[in-house]
Amino acid sequence: MTTTTAPRPARGPLGSAGRIIVYAVLIAAAAAILLPFAWMISASLKRNNEVFTIPVQWIPKDFQWRNFADIWDQIPLATYLRNTLFLSTVITFLQVLTGSFAAYGFAKMRFRGRDTLFLAYIATIAVPWQAYMIPQYIMMQKAGLTDTFLSLILLQAFGAFGVFLMRQYYLTIPDELCEAARVDGLSEYGIWARIMLPLSKPALASLALLTFVNTWNDYMGPFIYLTSNDLWTIQLGLRSFVGQFDADYAMMMTGSVLSVLPILVIFLLGQRYFIQGIATSGMKG
Amino acid sequence: MIRRRMLAAVGVVLAAALPLAACGSGGDETSAESGPVTLTVSVWNLKDTPEFQALFDAFQKANPDITIKPVDILAADYPTKVTTMLAAGDSTDVITMKNVTDYARYASRGQLKDITSLATTGDGAKLAGLDAFKQEGGKYYALPYRQDFWVLYYNKKLFDAAKQPYPGNLTWDQYADLAKKLTSGSGQSKVYGTYQHTWRSVVQAISAAQTGGDQLGGDYSFFADQYKTALALQDAGATLDFGTAVTQKTGYASMFETGKTAMLPMGTWFIAKILADKKAGSTDVDWGIAPMPQRTGSDKVTTFGSPTAFAVNKNAKHAAAAQKFIEFATGAQGAAAITAVGVVPALRTDEMRTAYFGLTGMPTDDGSKKAFAPDIVNLEMPVSDKTSKIDTILNEEHQLIMTKQKALDAAIAEMGSRVKNEVN
Amino acid sequence: MSDLLTAAPPRAEAAPSPPSAHPRRRWRTTLVGWSFILPNFLGFAVLTLAPVITAFALSFMDWDAFSTPEWTGLKNFQRLLRDESTKVALKNTVYYALGHVPLTMLAALGLALLLNRRIGGVGFFRAAAFFPYITSMVAVAIVWNMLFHPEFGPVNQLLHVIGVTDAPGWTTTTAWAMPAVIVTSVWRDMGYYMVLYLAGLQAIPQEYYEAAKVDGANAWQRFRAVTLPGLRPVTFLVLILLTVQSFKVFDLIVVMTDGGPGRATLVLSQQIYRIGIVEGEFGYASAISLVLFLLVLILTVAQFWFNNRRERR
Repeated sequence: MTTTTAPRPARGPLGSAGRIIVYAVLIAAAAAILLPFAWMISASLKRNNEVFTIPVQWIPKDFQWRNFADIWDQIPLATYLRNTLFLSTVITFLQVLTGSFAAYGFAKMRFRGRDTLFLAYIATIAVPWQAYMIPQYIMMQKAGLTDTFLSLILLQAFGAFGVFLMRQYYLTIPDELCEAARVDGLSEYGIWARIMLPLSKPALASLALLTFVNTWNDYMGPFIYLTSNDLWTIQLGLRSFVGQFDADYAMMMTGSVLSVLPILVIFLLGQRYFIQGIATSGMKG
Repeated sequence: MIRRRMLAAVGVVLAAALPLAACGSGGDETSAESGPVTLTVSVWNLKDTPEFQALFDAFQKANPDITIKPVDILAADYPTKVTTMLAAGDSTDVITMKNVTDYARYASRGQLKDITSLATTGDGAKLAGLDAFKQEGGKYYALPYRQDFWVLYYNKKLFDAAKQPYPGNLTWDQYADLAKKLTSGSGQSKVYGTYQHTWRSVVQAISAAQTGGDQLGGDYSFFADQYKTALALQDAGATLDFGTAVTQKTGYASMFETGKTAMLPMGTWFIAKILADKKAGSTDVDWGIAPMPQRTGSDKVTTFGSPTAFAVNKNAKHAAAAQKFIEFATGAQGAAAITAVGVVPALRTDEMRTAYFGLTGMPTDDGSKKAFAPDIVNLEMPVSDKTSKIDTILNEEHQLIMTKQKALDAAIAEMGSRVKNEVN
Repeated sequence: MSDLLTAAPPRAEAAPSPPSAHPRRRWRTTLVGWSFILPNFLGFAVLTLAPVITAFALSFMDWDAFSTPEWTGLKNFQRLLRDESTKVALKNTVYYALGHVPLTMLAALGLALLLNRRIGGVGFFRAAAFFPYITSMVAVAIVWNMLFHPEFGPVNQLLHVIGVTDAPGWTTTTAWAMPAVIVTSVWRDMGYYMVLYLAGLQAIPQEYYEAAKVDGANAWQRFRAVTLPGLRPVTFLVLILLTVQSFKVFDLIVVMTDGGPGRATLVLSQQIYRIGIVEGEFGYASAISLVLFLLVLILTVAQFWFNNRRERR
């Protein structure tokens, strides 16, 4: 098979001094970017009334390590984690599946009404959820789906975003490949499964990651549709620290830190797929 | 063309179908229920708002055949969810009214059952804050179970250290002076004389209550004095500046409990929080309450407050049991139950007051007890169908005044003109 | 060889379509095409499209979520023309989009190019760039508000050091609140779009770069001739998504400034939320959403058309 992306010698003959500079810049940038996360960690180790001091105290006076133990009792975090994991995984899987499937139709097949339909898809992304959330809820209520995971799964597994993303990537795959496969007698479904999917791994990985993150961090959807406490997700659990008149930010940040860790792990594991480039000139293979 | 027309037609059909969803069972319950009943009650932040569990426990003990199932909704977006649920014809029996504005909306749109009988008889008629729930035709659709009002909290230790007498009946000028005297230190160790929280009520509601001004009226010149006081405090550095307080999401509870402010005008709901925090050991503030500062020359103590109430859903499955619950919660037994957790009931009797001040951690001085009995408690914001629009406008201008983005006179004039033009 | 440099990578749309002149073949193609789309489309149509159309229909009516909707024709739209707050929200939203879209695109592309190499620890740096997107919005708002604090914030302290005497008040002022929000949002979103760009960079075959190098092109020329054209589908995706998401911005604004001070950062989604849910006027809120939708649709169609033209070149 063809090569994976080789490092581009963009800096030319700078050599090791150049690399040190690159690293220095990267580390400085990373530090700047991670500042809010540093604050999150700092806040998660404080007592609530110490979180907002003016000016800010980056190192807590006494480290409240117990916050990380207490939070599991204060809210049923384990249940919330389980629920969130379940929802995120199922929705991601369905989005990637139906999105890439539909995207093939939009990208590689020509039929009447294709582009208008696609435009309709994209255009609905433009409508803010606040605008149609009530009619949507009424519909789900009549179907008896409120207060179930199924409601969220149905609502988010058939989004336009996945279709859009995959279609754009499919466009970079040359038509000649599909043509050759058709000549070989492969059905359209076969082409999708055997040619498009394997060639679009980076796109699939991106879509999976972004969908997972969006579902994991989604607040409004679970808030409106999940009433029973044992169905709640992490975001709802975190928001429950905001009371009627004030909020327990320390606990909320503890929960946020814990909530970010799984995503971080998934990202670090999955980002390899972004660089394991698969050259699309598969004609060689 | 055809497709567009089809879409429009589909849209109209769907829209017409909407109200059909909102029509739930809605049947009136004429006969009392027999046998065990599960009553659903909407609440917010169940685990952090002890009054709900206290009420439920007391009620279930007195009515063993009724089990209460709380519907826990996050406080931060409570109105959004309740509106959505009611729009879809939800059948939760008792809906807790978080504020009077939302109540007015639900009541005027026919979402709540008429419970006038409870409001006009017995203990019901004695409830503080009941007036806010009167709708057209003298009908009541909710009953308050708690009524909070605003007082001035102060930190005894900081007053002792500055050798100042504890606040009693202050005028606004005296309050401002005290605040300046009690401000000390700088940077990390700065202690403010007072902390004026960022809500517009801190300036506007007390002004309306004490001058008799109408917050719905369209003429807001009566706000001027109060704003001048607030801005002067900010300029003198006697209170945390508004811009910082808003952008850093400063919490009044932290400010007071960590001794960063000597005084704090705030509602009585804070008492329950102080008691709970002292019990948990996260603060040791030595505190007391005094009446809110008054305008010079006034002989009565006027403050403002808000009631919290229970209402029965029009589509409730168990309306009779729901009414029973409301009667209990707003009556003497309910009041006793919430007093025990430090919440101020709407049914204010001498027994309640004694019981309240008997709680661990309450200040026992006479001044605090007097502060608990203001002469007049005005409603924080008058109720009408224009309230939420006007509230938004007043809040926006409030921010501009306090961040000095607009001059006071210009902003007050703008408030008036915006209310007159944009709200109809 | 040199045509590899000047010609864009094979464009799918430009390729000649399969012989579909035969009617039965065309019918079959249509059927198969629809069969691919149907699973996703069915769910989408029922669960999203139907409520959206309902919402648009409501814009011609008066509805408070509880009683029967009343037909009012164009009254809501006439009201929109007179509504100061909504006009302010529209202006702010456009302002935000004009800042957010180009800056985020540049930052994301820059990051993707920078991190599209195999140096040790690149995974960590990519994760760092992506972190802002997964960080709690509340933490983001609080920390950035802190950074932008007029007195104690590092941003202004830095400005003082380099000699700026009248440093802006950022989120405590009406003039500088939106720029502060835009900076925060670029910081937050650049990792997200970097992921899309990274995946897009993988789709460009190495051979093109090699061929270009053989032809003597330097790094900049290779970028212009190979990378940019190769990224066109992704750039299009990013542009559309950014535009759409900029016009819909809600959470960041609410948590960071809540539309303030005053109405300096009030955006359309917020206005729709306030009018619909807080004030209970869904008909009018739907009218505003319809206008927002049309605006974004026009922009999207323009981008589509522009993109198609360039592809056909």
